[in-house]
Amino acid sequence: MIIKLENARIYDPINKINGKVKDLYIKNQYIVDKPKSGEKISKKINLKNKIIMAGGIDIHSHIAGGKVNLARLLLPEEHREHLYPSSENLRSGSGLGTCSSFHIGYKYAKLGYCAVFEPAVLPSNARSAIIEMSDIPFVDKGTYTVLSNDDFLLNLIQKKISQKKINDYVAWILNSTKGLGIKIVNPGGINAFKFNQRALDLDEKNKKYGITPRSILKVLTKSLIDLKAPHPIHVHGCNLGVPGNVNTTIKQIKAVEGKPMHLTHIQYHSYDNKGDRKFSSGASLLAENINKQKNITCDVGQIMFGQTVTASADTMSQYKNHHFARPKKWICADIECDAGCGIVPFEYQDKNFVNSLQWAIGLELFLLIKDPWRIYLTTDHPNGAAFTAYPKLIKLLMDKSFRDGEFEKINKEAQKSSVLGNLKREYSLYDIAILTRAGPAKVLGLTNIGHLGIGAKANITVYNNKEDKEEMFENPFMVFKDGNLIVKNGKIQKVFNGKFYTAETDFDKKIEKEISSYFQKYMGRGMESFKIKNQELWDYGIETENIKCDRNDY
Amino acid sequence: MKNINFTCPFCSLLCDDVQLEIKKNSFKPVNSGCSLLVSSLKKKINDQFSRVNGKKTNISEAITELSLMIKESKSTLFTGMATDIKGTKAALNIIDKYKCIVDHFSGDSYSKNLKSMQETGGFFLTLSELKNRADTIIIFQSTGEELPRLFEKYIFPKKTINNLKKRKVIFIGTKVPKFFYKNKKIINFEFIKLDSINLLNFLSSIRNSINFETKEAKDKRILYLLDILKKTNYGSILWNASEFQNDISDVIINEINLLIQDLNKFTRFSGLSLSASDHVLTVNEVLLWQTGFPIRTSFANGFPTHDTNQFSTKKLIDNKEIDLVVWINSFNEKSIVINKKIKNVLIGIPSHPQKNNVDIFIPVGTPGLDHNSHLLRVDKVVSMPLKKIRNISLPSVDQILNKVKEGVTDDN
Repeated sequence: MIIKLENARIYDPINKINGKVKDLYIKNQYIVDKPKSGEKISKKINLKNKIIMAGGIDIHSHIAGGKVNLARLLLPEEHREHLYPSSENLRSGSGLGTCSSFHIGYKYAKLGYCAVFEPAVLPSNARSAIIEMSDIPFVDKGTYTVLSNDDFLLNLIQKKISQKKINDYVAWILNSTKGLGIKIVNPGGINAFKFNQRALDLDEKNKKYGITPRSILKVLTKSLIDLKAPHPIHVHGCNLGVPGNVNTTIKQIKAVEGKPMHLTHIQYHSYDNKGDRKFSSGASLLAENINKQKNITCDVGQIMFGQTVTASADTMSQYKNHHFARPKKWICADIECDAGCGIVPFEYQDKNFVNSLQWAIGLELFLLIKDPWRIYLTTDHPNGAAFTAYPKLIKLLMDKSFRDGEFEKINKEAQKSSVLGNLKREYSLYDIAILTRAGPAKVLGLTNIGHLGIGAKANITVYNNKEDKEEMFENPFMVFKDGNLIVKNGKIQKVFNGKFYTAETDFDKKIEKEISSYFQKYMGRGMESFKIKNQELWDYGIETENIKCDRNDY
Repeated sequence: MKNINFTCPFCSLLCDDVQLEIKKNSFKPVNSGCSLLVSSLKKKINDQFSRVNGKKTNISEAITELSLMIKESKSTLFTGMATDIKGTKAALNIIDKYKCIVDHFSGDSYSKNLKSMQETGGFFLTLSELKNRADTIIIFQSTGEELPRLFEKYIFPKKTINNLKKRKVIFIGTKVPKFFYKNKKIINFEFIKLDSINLLNFLSSIRNSINFETKEAKDKRILYLLDILKKTNYGSILWNASEFQNDISDVIINEINLLIQDLNKFTRFSGLSLSASDHVLTVNEVLLWQTGFPIRTSFANGFPTHDTNQFSTKKLIDNKEIDLVVWINSFNEKSIVINKKIKNVLIGIPSHPQKNNVDIFIPVGTPGLDHNSHLLRVDKVVSMPLKKIRNISLPSVDQILNKVKEGVTDDN
């Protein structure tokens, strides 16, 4: 069956289409070329005055895993405030920042998103996180497995083991945990916190292993390049949230010596320590560096005002921040000799100096980093805000007068400390399509999503062309996933599951002997129980899409 | 006769280092003396019939009857819920759609932990951290009977990553675990005898000393423990809610969680609750991700409503606030409460002694014996894959419940 979407204005940056009126054809879940004469078009949908983009891609959103469930456990009050009844074809649910699984899928679909990546899956928790994700409908999914704090890896680095062997270990982890990428979280710092170190800067040594975050960062960055992994190393750096950390972030950029690196939620890593309050914006400084360093991509982790909950593997930072918990309760955990986890509820307030400046810093970064192909739209859901805030964030980027109005409402001292009011840049629809579709697809090494060219998945979002961009982006007219109409005028039509992306790589199997012995002695379970087998995923109806590690543009 | 590797489903340690000698469909552990494993494998299956009103029938008739009952019920409780991830998912699919209530065998004790988590949070750890990192382990009144190999594998292990030579193990409670006495020649531990009420006072005094550095004369035991806490590099505290005096257990747990938070101001400490019987944690995790709430949640309003007091199994049955109760237990023969004034259904293992006393009995297999499965360990982080090893054609809970749901929907 061929469906023709006609007369819409199309924004498809990967194919360099900027607002041209063009027809699209869908056949068997994919976008196809114009049918030959005689080939039957089963359905024509006239989309005159509508706008089309590929389905959105969220490169960094905490949608599953132990940390999200701990946050749900900690905050029944948040869930009681956001209750969703069941209906004929939809399950009931609750929550906003830590929304229950089915409704994460429903909400993303309603926003026109078709792929979401869970960025902090601990190796030990990967199996249940993936099973949990099988209850998030519609969107394609994938995970980044957290390395950089596990005792096995740190021991290898301490012993100055060859890069080749580290690559084997990284590849083994990717395969065993079904990850698409590898994420660094506070390299060495989570481990150091287990030995009661309360901070660890880029060149400070971990007490136990005597190695620095810099050495871990370098080794893992190289590893992903050597493996030709789809996505370069995804980095949550040292000193998250610490005033003055922008200098550490810049040092980290220099540390990788021009190699590709994705810096995540940079808003939390862009703080300077100037002024009376020893807290100021480092956005200009960081943007200047990122503008120069073409090897760096980033997502912002914008904060939006209101109640949310922060959830992170960075136990060191989360423990430090627990004093700011609102409501006053928090959870931390030391996890399985591989990482940790911290849950701290947060209320970002527009009258609070620090929160206001955090908000402004995020927007400054969006507006000062020039190349939209290297910066992606995230709120680090739910850390900065729930992903449902994206439409408002898009309006802030596209509409200077609205932005100025919002800027007027924040803490006055923060206004004085920010250059935001002087920034005139307004994002275009084409730019937004890059930030939310084309850019993330490109950096993730995924060629069949994020665009509307022939052969792409028919993941298509149709918007009403409205002056108010928040209204436009929060309620797409139609959303197609794999060629199926899943949302029309905000109403979900048909429920099914998307695919699960994994990276497919090879490694020297000899490393399993050492890993197996390590598991046997220390881990309380065997290596075979750690490795996730394909059959286990298929048993939950999870269809995998394996991405070969053959990226050749590093 | 041959030997196979086996992951044991009978407690939340989910040990995967077990070897079984297999002869037809009978199994004998070769390298484990775990009492729970041995007794669980010994259960004899005399028949595998379903029963309706005590009379043997075929499984499809029993499923049809159950579908009809759910359809006619004004309020159904699913409880026991001793099942795996898939079983929980299948149950929730019905519970949500047909506006039922869900609780668990361990509802009473686990809800004490829940309450503390919801009020204060906490600082936790997983089993490998416990095994490899802790130089001090304090155990509050936990005999370890629910997790028989906990002490052997994780408290007194042979090897640790951090080469911990001198681990301090302190047991505080009324009854020292049997394991400690049996092994007293090869392990070192200390015992502070305290009942629940004195334990609560003890915890409060320790917390006061840490937070306010009170100089009042102290109990020697408090001084001793404070000294140990100060010398600890990484400590762990373990407890089991079901072994504290019930009416104050939530306060004790709260004090423990707060104590751990206090200790982290100057050293590293973390805790682990050992309340995990009948895989309550597996069920709870699925509930949390699918609905946003833990056990003791009702869907009567069309959306989840969570209340640890209102939706207790005992209360709902005693007060006849439900007209149908569906008990699920795929692991053991734990006794169920039967109130003849309401309908009672048991989806259980074929040897369950109460199978003739309920309105409907449907036999199911055990995860990891009769079908592949996934269960979560006591630390909630690690999920283990379990493999079918027995071929006696017993269906799984999810297979039964998926059929039941089809039946309810068909009748519409």
